[in-house]
Amino acid sequence: MGRKGIANKVAVIGCDSSKYGELFDKSQYDLLFESTHGALKDAGIVKDDIDAAWVGIFYYFTGLSGSTVEDILRLDGKPVTRTENFCASGMDAFRNACFGVASGAYDVVLACGVEKLTDEGSSRLPGFKLFGHPVLPMPSAPAMFSMAATRCFHEFGWTKEDLARVAVKNHSNGAKHPKAHFRSEISIEQAVRAPMIADPLGRFDCCAMSDGAASLILTSVENAPSYAHADDYVVVKSNAIANYTNFPWYVPPGAVGSDFTYFPATVKAREMAYKEAGITNPRQQIDLAEVHDCFTITELINCQDLQFCDRGKAAEELKNGTFNWDGETAVNPSGGLKSFGHPIGSTGCRMLQEVTKQIQGRAEGRQVPDAKIGLGHNLGGAFSVCSVSILGQSD
Amino acid sequence: MIGKAWDFPVIPGTKSIASADEDSITMGVEAGLDCLTGIDPKSIDGLFFATTTQVYTEKDSASLVATVLDLREDIITSDFTDSLKSGTTAITRAVDTIKANKDIKSILVIASDTRVPEPSTMWEYGFSDGAAAFLIADEETIPVSIDDYYSVSANVIGPWKRTGKDKFIRTFEVKMDAKFYIENLTKVMSELLKRNDLQPEDIGGAAYYYNNPRLHGRIAKTMKFGQGVAQNSVWFQLGDLGTPMSFLLLIAALRRPKPDAKIILAGYGDGADGILLQIRDKAKLKEIGKDRMGIAAHQKTMITLKNYNWYLENKELLEKDRYDRKSSAVLIWRDTDSVYKMYGIKCKECGTVQYPCNFRSCYKCRADDQFEKVKLALKGTIFTYTLDHLVGGAYLDTPVPRCVIDLDGGGRILLNMTEIQNPEENVKIGMRVELTFRKAHESANFVNYYWKCRPERGRK
Repeated sequence: MGRKGIANKVAVIGCDSSKYGELFDKSQYDLLFESTHGALKDAGIVKDDIDAAWVGIFYYFTGLSGSTVEDILRLDGKPVTRTENFCASGMDAFRNACFGVASGAYDVVLACGVEKLTDEGSSRLPGFKLFGHPVLPMPSAPAMFSMAATRCFHEFGWTKEDLARVAVKNHSNGAKHPKAHFRSEISIEQAVRAPMIADPLGRFDCCAMSDGAASLILTSVENAPSYAHADDYVVVKSNAIANYTNFPWYVPPGAVGSDFTYFPATVKAREMAYKEAGITNPRQQIDLAEVHDCFTITELINCQDLQFCDRGKAAEELKNGTFNWDGETAVNPSGGLKSFGHPIGSTGCRMLQEVTKQIQGRAEGRQVPDAKIGLGHNLGGAFSVCSVSILGQSD
Repeated sequence: MIGKAWDFPVIPGTKSIASADEDSITMGVEAGLDCLTGIDPKSIDGLFFATTTQVYTEKDSASLVATVLDLREDIITSDFTDSLKSGTTAITRAVDTIKANKDIKSILVIASDTRVPEPSTMWEYGFSDGAAAFLIADEETIPVSIDDYYSVSANVIGPWKRTGKDKFIRTFEVKMDAKFYIENLTKVMSELLKRNDLQPEDIGGAAYYYNNPRLHGRIAKTMKFGQGVAQNSVWFQLGDLGTPMSFLLLIAALRRPKPDAKIILAGYGDGADGILLQIRDKAKLKEIGKDRMGIAAHQKTMITLKNYNWYLENKELLEKDRYDRKSSAVLIWRDTDSVYKMYGIKCKECGTVQYPCNFRSCYKCRADDQFEKVKLALKGTIFTYTLDHLVGGAYLDTPVPRCVIDLDGGGRILLNMTEIQNPEENVKIGMRVELTFRKAHESANFVNYYWKCRPERGRK
């Protein structure tokens, strides 16, 4: 009984992402078509080589069911499953696709994600009134995460400036990436002075509304050498997902997740993923991480939950350059959700195609020097669900 | 502010206005909570609710207020409405009901109104919002007795409000209104004196409805009440509160009564009620007053309106699209224990109190189906919070503090904060808050109520 995992069984043989941004002239069909055909081309295969697909989509208006992918790719009856696990929908699609290969059920599978947010207006996450209860409060995403920020300020003494440094770093990284939504550097002062969204989180502490898609082609490690990336295919070392409550504000004191200074889903997924991949010293072993910086506070907490630094020290380590693209553990060299964008269902796949390209030494923006092991971290809901995947070079 | 808004002659004084998230039901709950301080709600046998500003015209308020106050189900509830005297009428009916039924020993009578005056009329100087409650019971130990009442009925010509057609009250001739008012009120009070062989000088306090300080004085003069007998403290401070007006005047009269004083409570509206009360135990009355917020503690919490536009927006007197939320009468009904009565659950395995009641597995020890329902405290301490600048697309009264609160005695909950000034400076981790029942939204043409928190005011 228990978790056997899929370490070293599945390989990424092709990947791509669309441009991210406010893409009013493109539909979800265009975006997923572009990223998937990019990934197929990267793998040197055609769409009919795909045996099955999993797609991460969060919002019903982006597309219901796996048939959304059929309507984009015309796969002639191939099985497609839509995964929804809040903002971790994309990485959960990847996880399920891995199982499809590792189980031996399929040879070649597609893991992809897409979200078309701006068709519903670009000012805020749409549709919140459709969720949940008529009167029990359902805070906005910034409000949820700012409750953690308030608590971290109280416990660790962090400040608005500490948060701003996350935004400054990620904007600086994203400015170099041709596919990022925001491609300009910002200053600490700019970030600190921005209008407040959910105190203490201001405009530059929150990721924006973006459209985008990302796709990865997977096959077994045995079969990987027969595709285009025969020499530099990337191996899935582990993936793990953990779910806790949708309502952290009801977790009674003393129960797991009641203190709002760490995310129990991340801790749990990290434990599973590190064990499976044999990670014992993440700060040294992991060269780069694409982590879920939906808000600046989230990235600081992630760095602690993923053990890139000690609890309470993330702000200081960030200030010292530990998480810079050329630092000890590069965090979000792509620019992260903050600068690259966060089309919800696509983000997990976008992170993993970024990690893949970093490990292959062909990152489109900042290339982390000598990257061998990379991590993707996708966090969703009210810190309810977390997916951690670790990719590495083939031996 | 009203004078400034319309370039009217300015009249001194203040009046109380309900917040945007209050209506006659929520204010009634607030008055009921204060009244029932230290009294087991399960011991009450009935609830009468008096108002002219019904939230629904079909669907009563008394049963909802009784539910929120956590009264029993086998009680009598009724709304008294359509007349400004319905508060005093409800008291007389409560007296009769208790006298006539051996199983009904106590009835909570709540009067509550939110009469919105027509903007740019002189009514704006008077009309205000408020609620008050009395617990009427058949017990020798009660410090004030109701000794007699006398009522008249009169089909007067004004004012009126047509169902579904008039948003504001209408009247034909205010001088005629005043004539009816004086005639009816003096008639019931005079008759009450006569029936009980009393002279005006025997009356130690008179709490009768008035909507105009000049008319109040004329009645006192006509009745030959002594100096300071007729309570007139309310109008210039709180305004014309409507149905609860005479209740508040009585509460004021009971603050510093002479021992053994006789007090008249009188309500007016299409007739009048006069009720004769007798102070039995001054010391005990004082004690009751001490445990409750009463008028003074509530008055202290009044916040000055920022400007007249704020008032227009919060009373929804401006037409505009407003944010819509999900609505489900079924969900509200099924979750009544959690969302109205503020019950939580306690794990029999580990003892942890949690909220809401829907869960079947313990947050802490993960035991399944080991919960018992428990009443949660309406007070707590902020554990963490955010100040939300984008609540439901609202730009007025933002930021809204959204607070994770540890309730006294257990249970963690998320509530919006209402009636907080300068939240950036005043909301803090560790801050003490009280729960208050408020209107959440009216999506799907159904009024959705829920609790909010507010800075601690001293409700016990």
